[in-house]
Amino acid sequence: MDAIIQYASLASKYLVALLSVWVLARCVRSLLRERYEPEVWGFLTFPDGSRASLYHYENIIGRARSADICVNDPSISRLHAVLVRSDKGRWRVFDLASRSGTYVGGEPVGRKGAVFADGDVLLFAGVAAEFSELTNEERARLSRARKAPSRFGPGVTLLMLTVIQAVLLLEQYHHAAKEYALSIITAFVVLMTLEWVCYLILRLLRRSGFEVETIALYLSSLGLSVAASSTPESMDKQIIMLVAGVVLFAVLGWWLRDLGRAKALRWPAAIGAVAFLALNLLTSEEIFGAKNWIYVAGFSIQPSEFVKIAYAYAGAATLDNLFRRRNVFVFVGFSALCVCALALMGDFGTALVFFVAFLVICFMRSGSVSTIILAISGAAIAGFFVLSVKPYIATRFASWGHIWEDAYGAGYQQTRALAAAASGGLFGQGAGAGWLHKIVAADTDLVFCLIAEELGLIVAVCAVAGIVVLAISAVRNAAQGRSSFYVIAACAAVSMMLTQVALNVFGSVDILPFTGVTFPFVSRGGSSLISCWALLAYIKAEDTRQGASFSVRMAHPERIPDADGEEDAP
Amino acid sequence: MKKIKRRATAVLVLVALLFAGLAVFVVRLWQDGRDWAMFRGNAEIYTNGVLNAGIITDRNGVVLARAGDGVFAYADDQTTRMSCLHAVGDYSGNIGTGALTALSDRLVRYSFVSGVSAKERTLPLTIDAELNNTAYRALWGRAGAVLVCNYKTGEILCMVSSPTYDPNIGPDPSQDGVYLNRTISAAYTPGSVFKLVTLTAALENIPDLDTRTFHCSGSVQVMGDTVKCTGVHGDQTIEQALAHSCNCAFAEISLELGPDTLANYAGQLGLTGAHSLDGIATQAGKFEKAEPGTSLMAWSGIGQYTDLVCPYSMLRLVSAIANGGQLMEPTLVGHKRWDSARQLLDQDTAERIRSMMDYNVQYAYGSGSFPGLSICAKTGTAETGDGASHGWFVGFLNDEKHPYAFVVVIEHGGGGLSAAGPVANAVLQAAVSK
Repeated sequence: MDAIIQYASLASKYLVALLSVWVLARCVRSLLRERYEPEVWGFLTFPDGSRASLYHYENIIGRARSADICVNDPSISRLHAVLVRSDKGRWRVFDLASRSGTYVGGEPVGRKGAVFADGDVLLFAGVAAEFSELTNEERARLSRARKAPSRFGPGVTLLMLTVIQAVLLLEQYHHAAKEYALSIITAFVVLMTLEWVCYLILRLLRRSGFEVETIALYLSSLGLSVAASSTPESMDKQIIMLVAGVVLFAVLGWWLRDLGRAKALRWPAAIGAVAFLALNLLTSEEIFGAKNWIYVAGFSIQPSEFVKIAYAYAGAATLDNLFRRRNVFVFVGFSALCVCALALMGDFGTALVFFVAFLVICFMRSGSVSTIILAISGAAIAGFFVLSVKPYIATRFASWGHIWEDAYGAGYQQTRALAAAASGGLFGQGAGAGWLHKIVAADTDLVFCLIAEELGLIVAVCAVAGIVVLAISAVRNAAQGRSSFYVIAACAAVSMMLTQVALNVFGSVDILPFTGVTFPFVSRGGSSLISCWALLAYIKAEDTRQGASFSVRMAHPERIPDADGEEDAP
Repeated sequence: MKKIKRRATAVLVLVALLFAGLAVFVVRLWQDGRDWAMFRGNAEIYTNGVLNAGIITDRNGVVLARAGDGVFAYADDQTTRMSCLHAVGDYSGNIGTGALTALSDRLVRYSFVSGVSAKERTLPLTIDAELNNTAYRALWGRAGAVLVCNYKTGEILCMVSSPTYDPNIGPDPSQDGVYLNRTISAAYTPGSVFKLVTLTAALENIPDLDTRTFHCSGSVQVMGDTVKCTGVHGDQTIEQALAHSCNCAFAEISLELGPDTLANYAGQLGLTGAHSLDGIATQAGKFEKAEPGTSLMAWSGIGQYTDLVCPYSMLRLVSAIANGGQLMEPTLVGHKRWDSARQLLDQDTAERIRSMMDYNVQYAYGSGSFPGLSICAKTGTAETGDGASHGWFVGFLNDEKHPYAFVVVIEHGGGGLSAAGPVANAVLQAAVSK
């Protein structure tokens, strides 16, 4: 009997590693390998008879190669004008301070832009172009050409994930104390039910893209296993938070379907974020040297996690707004407020996460490398200033690179994390069979090493790779995003996740200073989990593959749309 | 949108940095994973800081230490526990150079692929518990060190450091330096055993050494200072001078060679540097260059002045002399490959020293003290400044069947031959009769 258990636990170790790689590979193939026809929203016909397709909600016309519609005419400015479509199918044109102006029906386009519709002639300096909507035949043709990304069977991938979860559950059950067995089983069963319910709802909505959710669910499963190892007594809290995160993901994803609606909430999001941080600064208690917690109804909440959601939201902008200087200044001010508030709380890790997101958003909005270098130098000078005024802050990072010399002092956590990670080998000691979870913050700050110890280096690397896949898919889908609003929000979201992973992993293994940032989806803790699921909605809203994402409306339904353009009710 | 799409690739910079960092981690894990896993804080293999895996035996399979399932035990026999203590080490890690601490990675299965596993693993040491017991008894509780190795294979057969204690009871609080393995972690004033170094330098640098006559009148004046000898030896050949351990003769040779040459030879022959015994760092020795032509310089060539030598380094030297100049690096766990041999000194020189050390025993020490052993040796009686000198007896058996080299040091034991000689004899008799 003992021998059977031994072989079973050996086999299950290999199974988890193998299936992890496989699940990830299937998601990668489905996300990145599939080629698809772009969406088309209208056409511009030029006097010479050539016709340019409008592939996005927002299209730049100009002489520059980076313009979406590149017109090689000397009278046209490099970035001349932007054509913007609303969710309802109403088109507007904005002039981007061009030299010779833009005209619709002979009228010059002012600051507020001008509306145009099917058959209208737009004049860009000396070049005239006639706008036309898609005919019903074209719609039907596109609809046939655009295949849903279902070739790689999301259901099969989800089934594999379920097997991983079942194995994790069995291993945890085997190692857990009897009094916690029930709550561990309950948590895993709730997770499995949740994912299949989500999947079925998605199928009912005629959506087939489930890769992003699968990766997040995979990471959340690892997180659930971590929680079962470290704090089996609060499994219920963890699973409630997970469900809350998924619900917030669905709500935010649905909210983002309508660009007009989404844009309207930018200011409230920014103001709410600042207010939340201010509240945090005034009321919070200090834990482990960082004042970043508040307590509400028995739950400890980390406001900075929720501010992340608002930050990506507030940082995004549509193309017509992107070129307005005032918007950039407001955003820089907002960012400075957030980063300073976090630094005041002593949460330098999260401050850095925001700063990197700021750099990414800033670059996407301005495209200027010199601005980025300026921002980094500014931050470095500010950092040196703070260190020279308050040298005790530096002592928090003093053990960096010297953890083995102070293995029973400042390097206590990381030396044990490395010892545990090395003990795990490639396949781990088994879920729940490790010891690192007894060390303070092992389930949050050291979680990469905890995964490496219990589930092995392969799974730990898969966890990092999962976030990387989310990031790469966000970059790839940027080419097809309907609006720069979605693209910027998605890129901001993934850069926050990437920075968190880097600080978490490299902090725990002493490649970077130990800042105590959470690993997205995996680290135990409700606030972090909920905010990561919410950030995932931005990635989802950017994915315009045919029928892939629930937070993107179908582009070219075979059914002729109703008058108001609402083709599929949520 | 094309612009935004291009700018979005900035995110890939973060991805690249993440991959680079991850690669650094994996490479470090590959290189240092074993050390990380052997860290005492690793609860996988250490229970409350005590190693919880593996068995250590002597060369005949006698269990010296065993741990598993949270329980550990040392050898059954008390004398064995005490005589092998410093080679084996202790589970508390007080003896840092003991196998339990320094060779713990050989007691635990570790691999990059499967991590650590606490499955039973046996580490047979090359030492012979019975020889250790013999040496320990022959020390009569005096502080000192005994080392015996097979100079053809490098295997250490006997390693005893005294004072010692029973690990089942713990050390007597009044005992000083009881955790120190004096065979590898201590360095003593060598006294006359250092003359082997001076002799090596002389053989290779003074062409007419064989035809020279060295006169000893009991002392010699060097720049107004007196270098005293142990007796009045009259006219002697170099062979006789070594057998008499004549200070006058070696003072003359030292002054002639000069501090640079002597320092070079002390370094070359491995007496000043630290060595690695299966990865355990041994104590370095010391040879300071004194002013040329002074009496201090003369003393430095006869193993006094500030000279210090670790018994382990001396064992390497006599092993190499015994083995035609070729050194098999000593080991506690055995060599897997035969690439541990290297030429420590010239074969001719080694042969000449060997015959002189043979002559020492025949002519001066008396082979009657070592019945049945074809022993070649050199004594040392090192003045320590506090009246009681350290007694050294080093050498080897010139015997194909029993190729053993040895080093015995008795702290404050008096004369080398009288204090250390009998200990060496006892251990070698036991080794040969096996």
